[in-house]
Amino acid sequence: MTADKSRGGGGSSRSQSEGDGEGRSVSKALLFLAWLIPGLGHWILGKRVRALVFASVIFAAFVTGVVLDGEIAVPQQNSPLSWFFALGCLGNGILYLLRLVWVNGLDGLLSSAFPYGLHGGGDPVAAGFFYGKTFLYTAGLMNLLVVLDVHDIGIGEKS
Amino acid sequence: MDHFLLLVWHALLVAVFFAFLWRSDARGRKILFVKTFLIMVVGAMALGWLMFPIP
Repeated sequence: MTADKSRGGGGSSRSQSEGDGEGRSVSKALLFLAWLIPGLGHWILGKRVRALVFASVIFAAFVTGVVLDGEIAVPQQNSPLSWFFALGCLGNGILYLLRLVWVNGLDGLLSSAFPYGLHGGGDPVAAGFFYGKTFLYTAGLMNLLVVLDVHDIGIGEKS
Repeated sequence: MDHFLLLVWHALLVAVFFAFLWRSDARGRKILFVKTFLIMVVGAMALGWLMFPIP
């Protein structure tokens, strides 16, 4: 899969022949894969070294967070800010989803209270609880930046 | 649990990440890595010392 150089949907009438990067778009599937598996977007675009570094860093940060008994962010009822934290943490892609399944089980994920009945795991009385959360949030936000980087490379803004 | 070690580990990961995200040549990456890493580690220690007298 490669970056799609033609305009996607949406009815835009911008010309794609006006200079480098102008009018290019990136396949949504590529961005989805870049989010789902950290580093995969760069790997597909041929940036193998960057892909391995990003994947390693994000995976290391996420595992450190889990080992420190950190809690992944989940939406809480009556707490609008928790959605922002959850979105940041959701940036971890498949790591976040696997952790959710690990903590809640498939039954918990499919419960009627979804998305509010979820648990983020971790141990609030553990010494590393807040450090762990920091690592988990950092990993998620880094992967979101990676997705933006894939987009920039895809449209030709960056090499 | 060594808090300072966690600080260094976090700074290391973030510095490597931004070095590869924002620079494409080896020299630029090294410079940005060192700068980012030192700013985070030394900055955090300096802030810690500054806040030490605060109850």
